[in-house]
Amino acid sequence: MSSEKSKLPPHIPAEKHQQAEQAGANDESIQKVHAILLREKPEPSEGFTPLPLFLLGFISAMVFVCAVYVVHYRGGFDPLVYDERFDAEAAKAAASAPKELTPEQVLASGKRLFQTCAACHQATGLGVAGVYPPLAGSEWVLGKEDRLIRVLLHGLGGPVQVKGNTYNGAMPAFGKVPGGGYNWSEEKISHVLSYIRHEWGNNAGFVTKDNVAAVLKAESTRAKAWSQEELAPFAQ
Amino acid sequence: MASSLTASLNPASSPDLAKRAELSAIDASTKAPALYFLGSAVLWLLVGTVFALISSYKLHNPGFLGNIEWLTFGRSRTLHLNAVIYGWSVNASFAVALWLMARLARAELRHVGLLFIAAAFWNLGVTVGMVGIAIGDSTSIEWLEFPTYATPILFVAYALIGAWALITFRFGRAKHIYVSQWYLLAALFWFPWLYSIAQIMLLFEPTRGTVQSLVNWWFAHNVLGLWFTPIGLAAIYYFLPKVLGKPIHSYYLSVLGFWSLAIFYNWAGVHHLIGGPVPVWVQTAGIAASFMMVVPVIVTGLNQHLTLVGAASALKYSPTLRFIVFGGVNYTLTSLAGSLMAMRSWAEITHFTHYTVAHAHHGMYAFFTMVMFGSIYYILPRILLKEWPSAKLISLHFWATAGGITLYVVVMSIAGIQQGLAMNTLPVGADGHAGSPIPFLTVVAHTIQWLELRTIAGVVIAIGHIAFAINFTWMLVKPRQTATSEPTLFRHAPDLEVAR
Repeated sequence: MSSEKSKLPPHIPAEKHQQAEQAGANDESIQKVHAILLREKPEPSEGFTPLPLFLLGFISAMVFVCAVYVVHYRGGFDPLVYDERFDAEAAKAAASAPKELTPEQVLASGKRLFQTCAACHQATGLGVAGVYPPLAGSEWVLGKEDRLIRVLLHGLGGPVQVKGNTYNGAMPAFGKVPGGGYNWSEEKISHVLSYIRHEWGNNAGFVTKDNVAAVLKAESTRAKAWSQEELAPFAQ
Repeated sequence: MASSLTASLNPASSPDLAKRAELSAIDASTKAPALYFLGSAVLWLLVGTVFALISSYKLHNPGFLGNIEWLTFGRSRTLHLNAVIYGWSVNASFAVALWLMARLARAELRHVGLLFIAAAFWNLGVTVGMVGIAIGDSTSIEWLEFPTYATPILFVAYALIGAWALITFRFGRAKHIYVSQWYLLAALFWFPWLYSIAQIMLLFEPTRGTVQSLVNWWFAHNVLGLWFTPIGLAAIYYFLPKVLGKPIHSYYLSVLGFWSLAIFYNWAGVHHLIGGPVPVWVQTAGIAASFMMVVPVIVTGLNQHLTLVGAASALKYSPTLRFIVFGGVNYTLTSLAGSLMAMRSWAEITHFTHYTVAHAHHGMYAFFTMVMFGSIYYILPRILLKEWPSAKLISLHFWATAGGITLYVVVMSIAGIQQGLAMNTLPVGADGHAGSPIPFLTVVAHTIQWLELRTIAGVVIAIGHIAFAINFTWMLVKPRQTATSEPTLFRHAPDLEVAR
C-alpha cells in the first residue's frame, strides 16, 4: 500500500517528480490533463475479514422468528382465507359445534319472532281489552316457565284472568304439536319467550331451549289447546 | 490518447501508471453516453422538482392553479413521480452503471454511437410519457402511469442499454468480479423482467381482480429494491473504498448481503396490501420477507460502516464521500423503517397516511438520489477532465438537500403517525375503546400545518438542486485548465491523497 502510494505524483517532491515519471513527465500536457486521474486512489479491492459470530446468531434468530411467524399466520395456505387470525382447526370445530348465541342475539331473534305475536298482543305488549291479554307485567309471563311454555306450545282457549281482567280469545299452538299451525322449533319458542320476559319493563329469567324441549316431551301426547283450569297446577 | 500516454511512459517504471492510462481510455469511451444521460438526468430533476413543489403547494392550497387541467393534483403529482423516477433516477443510474461497469470490467464501451441513440430513445420515451400524462392519458396504475404508447420506446432503449452493459462486462479484461458488478449485473437483468411482466400483466393482457394489485405492488416495490437499490449499493461499494483508498471491510459480508437481498426482496412488495383482499398467506409471506430484509441491510450497513471507520475525517473534505455516506446511512435507516412498516400492527397505523410518502422519499431521495449526486461529483471531472467550478455550490447543494430531505422525512412521518392514530380512533365501546371518533375532515385539517412544512422542505431541496444545476452547467461550459488542477474539495485537505 505505502509503496503504491509513493508512486502517486502528489506525494512526490518536485525534484523527484521527473525521476519517478521519467518519460511521462516530459510530456507536460499529458501530465496536466491526467492530473485528475493520477491523483485518484487505486481501484477498490476487498478485505477478507471473517463473518462476526454474533451476525450468524442474529441471522439464525431472524430465520427462526420469521419461520414461526409464517406458520402462525399462514391461514391454512387457503386462497379464500383473508384474516390472519384464521385457525383451520377452530374453524372446523366451530362449523360443526352448535351455535351459542349471546343474550343480545337471543333477544334480537325473539324480537323478530314477536312480530307474529304483535298482531294480537300489540307491539306495546298491552293486548286488546277483553280479547287479547297483555304481556307487559302479566303474571302469566313473569310467573312459572312451565305454564308459559305450555301456552305457547299448545295454545290456550276459553276465558282467562290476567291482571284482574277477563279475556276471551284463542291463542293458537306454536309448537311442533299435532294440529299446530306454526311448528316453531324449541329454539324459536325459547327466543320469543325470553324476549317477552325482558321487554316492556318485564324482568324475568331467560327460557332455555332445553326447558322447552323437556315440556314438549312431557306433553307429547297432548293434541289440543289448554284451558285456564288445566294449567292451574303448573303455576304453583 | 491512452496508447500515447502508455507509450510515453517507461513500461518498467510504474505498473500503476499503466493502469491509470487504461482507466483514462475507459473513462474517455464513456464520455459521450454518460454526458447525455447525466445532462438529461439533471434536466428531468429540475422538471420533477417544479412539479413536486406545485403538487406539495396544492395540498394545503387546493385552489392553486386549479383551473389548469394538466396541472390539477392528479396529474402534477403523477408528473412529479414519473419525472424523478424515469427521468432523473433512471437516467442517472444508466450513466453511473455504465461508467462503473466499464471501469470495473476494464473494458472500453464499444460503438458508443448506438448508446447515444438508446439514450435519445429513453428520453424521447420519457417525454412522450410525460406529455401523455399531462393530456390525461395516464394509465392510473401507480408507478406505471406512462401511457402504453410510450412504453415500447422505453423498452427498446432499455434493451440497448442493458445489452451494452452486458457486452462491456463480457469483453472486460478484469479477472475478478468486484461486488459492485454483482449488483449491476443483477439489476440489469431484474429491471427488464419487472418492467415487462408488469406491463404485460397490467396493461397489455391485464389479469383480473386482486391479482392486479399484487402485480402492481410487486413491480412498484421491486423497482426500488431490485433496480435502484442495487445501483445505489454498487455505487457505494465502489466510491467508498475508492475515495478512502482502503479495501471494503469483508468480502464475506458482501456476498451475504447480496444474496440475502436477491432472495428476500422479491417477496416484500405484498406488505403494501396488508389487510387487503389478498389471501392472507401471501401477505404473511410478504411480511416475513420484509422482516428478513433486515439481514441484507444490517450486513451491508455493517460492511460499509466498518470500511469507513478510522477514515471518517475524510468526510470533511470529499463531496463524493459526504453524499455517499449520507446515502448509505439513510439506506440502513429507511430499510429498517420499511421492515417495521411491514408489521401488521404498525401498518394498521401508518398505511394510507403521509408516513408512506415520507418513507418513499427517504428511500428514493435520502438514499438513492444522494448516492447519485455523490457519484456524479466523482465521475464528471474524470470524463470531462475538468474540476468542479465551485466548492461553495457543492456545499450549498449538500446542506440544502441533506437538510431539506431530513426535514421532509421527519415532518411527514409525524404527520402520518398522527393521521393514522386519529383515523383509527373508534367510537366509544367498540373494541373496548374509550375515545370518540374524530371526523375525517378534522383529521385532514390537522395535517395542513405539516404539509406547509413539507413545502418549505421542498423549497430548500429545490435550492440545492438549482445550486447543483448551476455547478453542472458551469462545469460543462468552462474551459479546460492548462495548469495542473487541484480537486474541488469542501476545504483544503491536509492529506493530498484525498481523492474526492
